[in-house]
Amino acid sequence: MTKLTRRALLASGAGTALALSAHPRIVVGQTNEPIRLGVVTPLSGPQEFIGSFVKNGAEVAVDLINKAGGVRGRPLALEFRDEKANPAAATTVARELLGMGINLQFGTIASTVALAYGPLMQAENGVNLTCGAGSEKINHENYSPHVFRIGDGTYRMRAQARMMAEKFPDVTSWTGIIPDHEYGRTVWAIYVDGLLEFYPKITGKQPQIVDPIIVPYGSGDYRNFITQAARTPARGIVNATYGGDAATFFQQARPFGLFNNRVLMDAANEFIVANALKAQVPKHWTGTHWYYAANSSPISKTFYEAYVAKTGQKMPMGWAGEAQAAVAAYAAAIAKTGLKGLTFDTVTGARTIRAEDNQAIKDLEMIQIEPDAGSDVGFKVSDYVKIPGAGVIEPATPGKAMVLRKPS
Amino acid sequence: MIADLPSLLFNALVWGMATFLVAAGLTMIFGILHVLNFSHGGFFMIGAYVAHSLTNWSAAMANIWGFLAASVLAGAVIGLVGLVVDRAVFRRLAHVDGAYVLVATYALLLVCNGFVKLVWGLNVVSASPPPELFEVSFIGNLVLPHYSLFVVVAGVVVFLALEWLINMTSVGRLIQAIAIDPWMARLLGVNVGLIYSATVIIGFALAGLAGGLLVANQSLSPDLAGIFIIQAFGVVIVGGMGSIRGAFLAAILLGLVDSFGTALLPQMPGVLFFVALAAILLVRPRGLIASGRLS
Repeated sequence: MTKLTRRALLASGAGTALALSAHPRIVVGQTNEPIRLGVVTPLSGPQEFIGSFVKNGAEVAVDLINKAGGVRGRPLALEFRDEKANPAAATTVARELLGMGINLQFGTIASTVALAYGPLMQAENGVNLTCGAGSEKINHENYSPHVFRIGDGTYRMRAQARMMAEKFPDVTSWTGIIPDHEYGRTVWAIYVDGLLEFYPKITGKQPQIVDPIIVPYGSGDYRNFITQAARTPARGIVNATYGGDAATFFQQARPFGLFNNRVLMDAANEFIVANALKAQVPKHWTGTHWYYAANSSPISKTFYEAYVAKTGQKMPMGWAGEAQAAVAAYAAAIAKTGLKGLTFDTVTGARTIRAEDNQAIKDLEMIQIEPDAGSDVGFKVSDYVKIPGAGVIEPATPGKAMVLRKPS
Repeated sequence: MIADLPSLLFNALVWGMATFLVAAGLTMIFGILHVLNFSHGGFFMIGAYVAHSLTNWSAAMANIWGFLAASVLAGAVIGLVGLVVDRAVFRRLAHVDGAYVLVATYALLLVCNGFVKLVWGLNVVSASPPPELFEVSFIGNLVLPHYSLFVVVAGVVVFLALEWLINMTSVGRLIQAIAIDPWMARLLGVNVGLIYSATVIIGFALAGLAGGLLVANQSLSPDLAGIFIIQAFGVVIVGGMGSIRGAFLAAILLGLVDSFGTALLPQMPGVLFFVALAAILLVRPRGLIASGRLS
C-alpha cells in the first residue's frame, strides 16, 4: 500500500505534491521558487550515448515550458545526476536527490535500474518516471506504485510483431539475435508472444518459432553466431542487440548475406546502426520512441526545432522524446490531477497512464530504413507505421507476472 | 556440427588473430616492465579512431595501400604517445609497488575514454574495408570474407615480425637480456632505460597498429576499449605472461574453444572461454610457454 499522502509530498520541499493515487487536486505552494525535478540518467559509462539524448531532451522540454510561463506560474528546474546505468550508483544518487527534497525524478533507461527504484522510492516517498526501461517486470511482478513508465514498454515488441504480420503475412518462420541479458530475453519473449497472437489473427497462419541465437554482450566478433543464424530456416529475424554491438553484428553479417532475402525487425536501435553503417546498412525495420519527421503536431515540431537549435543534431533519437514526455507528465500532473490515470500531450501525441499499473498507453512507432548512397547520411527512411497502443498493450496485472504465449 | 566444421575453424582463426593483434603489445610490455597495462585497450581504441579519420581524410586513402598506411600511421602515433606515457607515468612509478602502476594504467584508460568522447564524440561509427577486401569468396558452404582473411594474414605477419625482432636482431636480444636480468645488463653497460622506452613504444605502437588493422572488424564507439581486452588478457595469461609465442598459440587455442563453445553451448555464449582459461591455468599455472621472460 502506498505511503504517499498529500501531506508527505507537500513536505518534500518542492511543494509539488503529486497525488499519485487518491488525491484529485494538487496544492502548489504560494511561491515563485522553481519546481525542481531530478534527472537521474547515464551521463557516463556504456549508456552515456542514450543518456545524452535524455539530458538534452529534458533541458529543451523544460526551456519550452518555462518560456511559456512555467507550471502554475513557477519555473521548472532540473538537477542532473549520473547513474551510469548501474543500480547501485543509481540508488545512491537518487537517494541524494531525495535527501535534497527532490522527490520527483525521471531519466531511467535501464531495466535493472528501474527495478531497483521501487523499494527506495516507496520508502522515501519519491516518484520515478522511467524513460524507456523495457522489462515487463516493472509494471507486473515488480510493480511499485512509485515507479511509472511514461513510455512504451513491453507492448512495443507486440506492436512490432503485429506490424510484421500485417506487412509480411508470408514470413511465418522467425528467429532472433538475442543478447544474453534481461533486456534481450524480454524482447524475444514478448516478440514471440506477439507473433503467436497476431499471425493467426491477421493471416490465419501459425508462425514457426526457431530457437533464437543467444549472443554475448559487448563482443567484437559475432561471426560464429552469424553462421548459426544463416543456417536457420527462419525467414524473419528480430534483432535485440543494441548500439555498438548491433552495428558490429550488422557489419560482420554483410559478407555472409544473413539479411539477404530475410525480413529484419530491429527492436529499438532507431538511427544508431544506420548512422554507423550508412550506405552499408541493410534494409530493416526498427522501433522508435519518437520519429520527429512523422509527428506533425505543434508540440513535436516546436520540440524538434528547439532540439536542433540546441544540439545541432538533425536526427534526434526517440529517447529525447521520452524525456520530453517525462517533463510533460510531471507538468501536467502538477497542474492537474496527479499521475495515475493522467492524460497528457507529448511529442508523439496524447498518452494516458493506466492507473492500475502505472504504464502509459501511447502509440507505437516503427520506421523502415534502407541504404541510399545518394543521401547525405547514406540511408533513408522509406516507410513509417504508427500503431495505437490501446490495441496491443497487455492487460494490467500489477504484482503478478505477465502471462506470455509460448511456442508449442 | 560437422557441416559447420570449416566455418568454426575459420572463425576461430579470425577471432584468434584479431585477439592476438591486440594482445601482442600487452604481453610485450609485461615481458619487460612487468606491468599489466589496463590502458592498452584504450590506446587500441584511439588507434582505430586515428586510422578511421585518416582513411576518411582523403579519397586517395580508400584502397588497400591507404588502409595499410593509415594503420601504420596509427601505430606510429600511438607509439609516440607511448613515449610520453613512459616518461610521464611508467618511469615515475618504476620504483613503487606494482599496485600503483595498475591504478595509473586504469586512470590512463579513463583518460583515453574521455579523449575519444572529446574528439570523436559518443556516436557509434563504422569503417568499411577497402574495396580490395570488401568481397567474399566461397569454398562450398564456407564463407570467406576477404577482410577476415586479411585479419588472419595480418596476425601471422605481426607474429613473424615480432619473432624476428625478438630473436634475430641485436635490439631483440638486448630486450631478452633485460627481461631476464636488468641489473646484470646495466652492469654490462646496456642502456636499460632506453630499451625500456623502446619496448613501451613498440608495445603502444602495436596497440595502435591493431586498432588500424581491425578498424573495419567492429564498430567504433567509446566502449571499444573494453571489447577485446578481456580476451586479450586471457590470451596473455594462458600464453605465459610476456611470451609473444605463447600469446600466439593461446590466441589460436582460445579461438577454437570460443568457436566450438558457441556450437556446443549455444545458450551460454562465451562461457567455455572462461572455463578453458581456468582449466589451462590449473594445469599450467604459468601458461603454455612459462618462460618468465620475453620469448
